[in-house]
Amino acid sequence: MPSTNEADPSALPEETLDELYEHAPCGYLTTTVSGTIVRANATFLEWLGRTRDGVIGQRVQALLTAGARIFYETHCAQVLRRDGLVRQAALDLSRADGSKLPALIEWRPMRNAEEVLIGLRVLVVDATDRRSYERELIAERERAQATAEALRELNETLEHRVEERTRELHDTKDFARLALQSVGGVGVWTYDVASDRFVCDDNIAELYALESGRGAKGFSSAEFLQNLHPDDDLSLRKTMSGGLVNPGDLEQEYRIRHADGSVRWVLSRGHTYFEDGKPIRRTGVGVDMTQQRLLEEQFRQAQKMEAVGQLTGGLAHDFNNLLAGISGALEMMETRISQGRLADVDRYMVAAKGASRRAAALTHRLLAFSRRQTLDPKPTNVNRLVASMQDLIQRTVGPAVLIEVVGASALWSVLVDPPQLENALLNLCINGRDAMPNGGRITIETANKWVDARAARQHDMPEGQYLSLCVTDTGVGMSAELISRVFEPFFTTKPLGEGTGLGLSMIYGFARQSGGQVRVYSEVGQGTTVCIYLPRHHGDALEDEGEVVLPVLPRAKESKTVLVVDDEPTVRMLLTDILDDLGCTSIEAADSMAGLKILQSNVPIDLLVTDVGLPGGMNGRQMADAARVTRTALKVMFITGYAENAAIGNGHLEPGMAVLTKPFAVDTMVARIRSMMEI
Amino acid sequence: MSPLLRNNVRVTGSGMRTIVFGHGFGCDLNAWADVAPAFETEARVVLFDHVGAGLSDLSAYDALKYGHLEGYAQDVIEIASALVLQDAVFVGHSVSAMIGMLAAIKAPGLFGAMVMVCPSPRYVDDFPYVGGFSRADIDDLLEVLDANFLDWSRATTPAIMGNAERPELARALGDSFCRTDPTIAKAFARVTFLSDVRASLPLLDLPTLILQTQADMVAPIEVGEYMHVTLPSSELVLMEATGHCPHMSAPGETIATIKRFLAN
Repeated sequence: MPSTNEADPSALPEETLDELYEHAPCGYLTTTVSGTIVRANATFLEWLGRTRDGVIGQRVQALLTAGARIFYETHCAQVLRRDGLVRQAALDLSRADGSKLPALIEWRPMRNAEEVLIGLRVLVVDATDRRSYERELIAERERAQATAEALRELNETLEHRVEERTRELHDTKDFARLALQSVGGVGVWTYDVASDRFVCDDNIAELYALESGRGAKGFSSAEFLQNLHPDDDLSLRKTMSGGLVNPGDLEQEYRIRHADGSVRWVLSRGHTYFEDGKPIRRTGVGVDMTQQRLLEEQFRQAQKMEAVGQLTGGLAHDFNNLLAGISGALEMMETRISQGRLADVDRYMVAAKGASRRAAALTHRLLAFSRRQTLDPKPTNVNRLVASMQDLIQRTVGPAVLIEVVGASALWSVLVDPPQLENALLNLCINGRDAMPNGGRITIETANKWVDARAARQHDMPEGQYLSLCVTDTGVGMSAELISRVFEPFFTTKPLGEGTGLGLSMIYGFARQSGGQVRVYSEVGQGTTVCIYLPRHHGDALEDEGEVVLPVLPRAKESKTVLVVDDEPTVRMLLTDILDDLGCTSIEAADSMAGLKILQSNVPIDLLVTDVGLPGGMNGRQMADAARVTRTALKVMFITGYAENAAIGNGHLEPGMAVLTKPFAVDTMVARIRSMMEI
Repeated sequence: MSPLLRNNVRVTGSGMRTIVFGHGFGCDLNAWADVAPAFETEARVVLFDHVGAGLSDLSAYDALKYGHLEGYAQDVIEIASALVLQDAVFVGHSVSAMIGMLAAIKAPGLFGAMVMVCPSPRYVDDFPYVGGFSRADIDDLLEVLDANFLDWSRATTPAIMGNAERPELARALGDSFCRTDPTIAKAFARVTFLSDVRASLPLLDLPTLILQTQADMVAPIEVGEYMHVTLPSSELVLMEATGHCPHMSAPGETIATIKRFLAN
């Protein structure tokens, strides 16, 4: 085993140049001017894992990676060619195994005696570590730059925000001050809860019809609201007491009555301040909305006038036809009577009655459209209603259209005005027929529907239980654009003169008035479905009253007493005649005073038939209410023109009350009286 | 700012014709120092620096505008318009050849002929198209750029040191030889080497000379042939010169070839 000896230092041989060249810690290359390698040291070959033969004769750039080669060509080649000198170019060399050797390469020129460039010496340093440090450095520098940038932006944003906020605060104050000064009819008030006092400015005092100049001293809340319109009293009280419990902003619009009889609309907005959970103070503004309300009313009126104008054009034709039928029949009757042909009179009478009934029906439909119709809702079995209409519908739509009825079993009952629903159904079927000029099928379907919150939002109706009545045709269908317009009054797809365009809008009005909704589903070429949704009524439907067609009125089993109150003698006469035919005893009164006197007496009265509009200080409804204080179960039938519906309860009546709209057919009146008195 | 100041435009020579020289990636207008003077006796010679290179106005650099070759082409159009050029000759090296082409297509009338020195419409291979590089190679280049531009002085040292040993060159070239702003150079490298303007080639309706060198490591012969086939009226000349910069390595041959083309 050879041993190591610590020899005499002077005995060590000197390094050979070859040793130094071959094994130096860097690569050495000698190349021609164009870069062809003529010599390479062992270190270089070892680093690249290449043989001397594999390197000699190659150009340096061929040993570079592709990316490094581009850099060499674009940044080093021309300088080398010109000067023969490049220092510390960071370039990657390609090892035999395909891996990369990060290197720093330096070129130095070799020149001959004439200073002509004859070749290049190339020094290659392994830069693996250095390059990784550099990468870290670059990444670190980028991070630092990004952070600095973010910080700078943040600072700028902060400064900007502070500036903005400061400006906003100033602005808010000035906005408020300027707005209050420049706009008439706007004022401010503060309410102190402990002392129950309102302090306000002159604008508010004026708006609330209060003593001017006293606002700064303050008013008690009763004084402050002394001129409040009585109809708005209750809702305002609710809002105010609620505001003392719940934090947040309050808003309410109400009316103030002024000494000159005028009424001002005030929009009051306030905010309550709490301390320790207790309301301390409320501050707010009052805005005079009167002008806006008046304008809106004018606008509504203008729209109504426009509608009336259009109606006149659209319906004059229909009315003229009906009038012609009536006057024509009357004239013919006159002729026949003068001729003594009394047997022929009857058919003209039937014709005239039919025409006047249709005219009345037309008025009724128009009133339903204008939403001033008085509905007489009854618990109704819609399946039965549809079944009773099927024959009429089939006759109306003609033999080319097949009518199919799909009634849901255990269908809920609804509270609607049956004739209106019949009218709606008939109208929908007529629309269906008109959409199928070559015939087709109309399906009438009833169903119970639960409308959940999502569907309710979608259909614009309260969530809950509904009955749906859908009419589907197999016709031409409608585009989305058309669907969006079908509820517009006077919108029609029918040729001029064939439709008034009131059908769907009237159905819509009826459904909304009944607490329901109408929805249209259609696709062009696929047909149309129109669904009427009506809220479920908890209770059984009434049995059919049955049409009374007998000319001779059956007499009541035992005599009943009916009080008739109407200021129109002919109406009273007609009613007493009808009642007499029914075997009832009637008492007449011409005004509310006389009527009430009888009602407050102990005369037995089974039914009150009264006009709504009455002389004598009370309307019919008020008289009936007063009577019901003592006669709690008194049955009442109102006969009314369209204008007084608000007086009898906006279309909704208490049990035991019914309404009949003028003009009425005698047999309808008879049937109604019979049903109410159960005779 | 005037495009003439922004792009450090130099106008020399005189003649009926105007020749505009556009430098490639990695250099500036000095790249044409051995070629441009040869045309000064017969033509007006226009040299310019792309924004980010040489003595151009670095503050004019807008990453969005220069994120596409069209941004550079817009500058060429503005320079040509400012000089009221008509049917001028555009001599572009490497990426400048493509920039000049885009300008000529967008603003017809400014240029009447093109000379493309070692051009490439796309550097990354796109089978069956051969560009000579993979996407990874381009990433590799960007990394090398990072390493060389880590320190501004290292990238510029070689040229300046070289000039120090040969003072006559230093005077001739000035201090700006192939000076580029490192950040812009990297962005320019990305735009250049990831560009693909092949679709524009058929739109160039000008007589075009394509100069292809032997063993061009940046634009291989396949690219030159592709250009020749795709450009409607082009002439492909395979030079004896080697490398990617014949205008620097073989100025004589470059001048003679261009002159022969212009004579026709």
